[in-house]
Amino acid sequence: MAMEHAAVLEEEDIVLSELDDGELVEQMHEDLYDGLREEIVEGTSILLERNWGAEKVLNEALVEGMRIVGIDFRDGILFVPEVLLAANAMKGGMEILRPLLSETGVKPIGKMVIGTVKGDIHDIGKNLVGMMLEGAGFEVFDIGINNSVEDYFEAMEKHRPDILGMSALLTTTMPYMKVVIDEMVKQNIRDDYIVLVGGAPLNEEFGRAVGADGYCRDAAQAADVAPAMVRTRRLGAAVNG
Amino acid sequence: MTDNLRRKRAPGRGTRAGRPLRAGRARKHDLRRRGIVDEYTTWIDRRIPHIEILDTEALELIEHNADTVLEEIGIEFRGFPRALKLWKDAGADVDGERVRFPRGLCRSLVQATAPSEYTQHARNPKRSTIIGGDRTVLVPAYGSPFVHDLDRGRRYATIEDFRNFVKLTYMSPGLHHSGGTVCEPVDLPVNKRHFDMVYSHIRYTDKPFMGSVTHPERAEDTVAMVKLLFGEDFVPLKTVLTSLINVNSPLTFDATMLGAATIYAENNQATVISPFLLAGAMSPVTIAGSLTQILAEALAGMAYIQLVHPGAPVVFGSFAAAVSMQSGAPTFGTPEPSLVLYGVGQLARRLGVPFRSGGGLCAAKLPDAQAAYESANTLQTAAMAGVNFMLHTAGWLEGGLAMGYEKFILDVDQANMIAVLLRGVDLSENAQALDALREVGPGSHFLGAAHTLENFETAFYRSTVADNNSFEQWQQDGSLDAAQRANGIWKQMLKDYEPPKLDPAIHEELLAFIERRKSEFEDRDY
Repeated sequence: MAMEHAAVLEEEDIVLSELDDGELVEQMHEDLYDGLREEIVEGTSILLERNWGAEKVLNEALVEGMRIVGIDFRDGILFVPEVLLAANAMKGGMEILRPLLSETGVKPIGKMVIGTVKGDIHDIGKNLVGMMLEGAGFEVFDIGINNSVEDYFEAMEKHRPDILGMSALLTTTMPYMKVVIDEMVKQNIRDDYIVLVGGAPLNEEFGRAVGADGYCRDAAQAADVAPAMVRTRRLGAAVNG
Repeated sequence: MTDNLRRKRAPGRGTRAGRPLRAGRARKHDLRRRGIVDEYTTWIDRRIPHIEILDTEALELIEHNADTVLEEIGIEFRGFPRALKLWKDAGADVDGERVRFPRGLCRSLVQATAPSEYTQHARNPKRSTIIGGDRTVLVPAYGSPFVHDLDRGRRYATIEDFRNFVKLTYMSPGLHHSGGTVCEPVDLPVNKRHFDMVYSHIRYTDKPFMGSVTHPERAEDTVAMVKLLFGEDFVPLKTVLTSLINVNSPLTFDATMLGAATIYAENNQATVISPFLLAGAMSPVTIAGSLTQILAEALAGMAYIQLVHPGAPVVFGSFAAAVSMQSGAPTFGTPEPSLVLYGVGQLARRLGVPFRSGGGLCAAKLPDAQAAYESANTLQTAAMAGVNFMLHTAGWLEGGLAMGYEKFILDVDQANMIAVLLRGVDLSENAQALDALREVGPGSHFLGAAHTLENFETAFYRSTVADNNSFEQWQQDGSLDAAQRANGIWKQMLKDYEPPKLDPAIHEELLAFIERRKSEFEDRDY
């Protein structure tokens, strides 16, 4: 069996720089799918050298590639460890693109501050969400575990994210989300951010009750919902503004 | 059972074989409906061997690897300096919050002073139980934020649900223990709900129960309440609480759990040190790797308890499931965690401490076929693996996110069967049944034989839920499935419930204590 698999998966020798643009973008979709960070970094650089704009590289090579990853994750073809690898490869490309995007004044896909609430040190799910959002092109500031109101406020002040994400695994810590949101309301900054909450003991009803904009049942859904919410919000701001 | 029945069942008593018992309709109604579980069973006595899947060489390998983890990688004791000091004094290498242990240190600490079994006293002495040895104590599920029933579906649990599950457990003779957080009453403030939870275990049942672990102060309140119940002198000497201390796997204890564990240990109360593994996420994906991690974590936790209070009872806990590598969701009732469970049972027995695991675990959202087979798999495995303290025996749905009313009834039925299974094979003269074989001989049937008449009532386990009738009879009864039948049962049980007596003076004191403590600080949701 092992021999057969090895035969099927035998690598072809591909030299990225020898591919034309169309082939290279397709190959990058494949490489994202396989979670090949070095290859994605290289492909990103080659496209930039060929005078592709950073935004075009982002959308056509990376975001499109991760969209395909997302579909196959949802359909149970790709497994969690593979999706994490893909997200990590995407992050590699993003690290090159991000300074260029901000230079040219292109709005990033989104920024997020994410952290587990006070009293809770469980972070596996929160980490998955962070990685999936990086995979969706977000800049993610992970402030870790056991975060007080002050910690969240400090991070929001510093990073000016589009989204604040809060996570809890315990029934005894999840109500702290309301403490944070109530304080945001009090300080008149609630409407400056999209607030997403998640964690095993939560549900839609809870998300609404604490005053969040959304509840994400898992990391894949967060990666679906977050970019859409940021887009909608920016559209709304453009219309109203 | 009455003396009459007992006398009749005993062989060679000179009663005319096969003579019907004069009991009357009312008494028979009463006896037949109750099932065969005795009113005051306080544990199951195991009389069959354990299933052991690892040979000595394999066990020694796992133990060696666990010591390598403890020595080389170590365990984090986070946010709790006192633990670090105790470890340093005990000869461990303390680097920041990381503790590395010389080979064999944890094992020797545990084996020197941890009891191999202990009595957990209940306020009704007839309900006091012993945890460890060849006994199995069945305990309801623990920790769900949601409850589920057929009428109202899935919803957040309230204190009323909590009371209901305490009452249902009290009414279920097969469950020996009232459990702890039978569901999380999220309608009450986080920092005060423990008062109502502990009170419910004192007021609505007289079975032994578990204490609050969500904050050291809440553990202290729990201890104060059991001191009022059992007496100031009784509690530090005797164990009246068994409380759940989870490891933040991998290889981490947090300040909340360490704080609560320390309070209980200081008061000579038992703790269940439970590595919490969803393999693939919180432990390696292999069985041997998970066993190694479980042993290392449990050893470090139990040894810590012995440093705090030598001789405080500890239970080697294990909660091990696997995640779906496709989605990350926990799965239950699959074969790999069963292999882990058998293995941990062996490791715990070699160490010489009581063992907690198992329960009727499943990932199903409803009391459906998936719930039934996944739960049956884990219950059977836990029983055969020699679990002493079987948390999550009844009610568990959805990976523990929901406590199901109907599921509870279905699980209790399964748990009662396990009691019969573990008691093994009766080889008394009566059980050998040679008289029956002589009387009936070839052909004919045993339905009217004297031996059958003397034994039929208790011969076979009678399910409280299963329908074994003809199709037509089942149809006439409303074509109900198992969950629908269970729905009727729990409602009837709650209707029939009567609280056990509680000394009014103690009751007053408890209420006064709760009122005073609740007034001492603001409601808080953290």
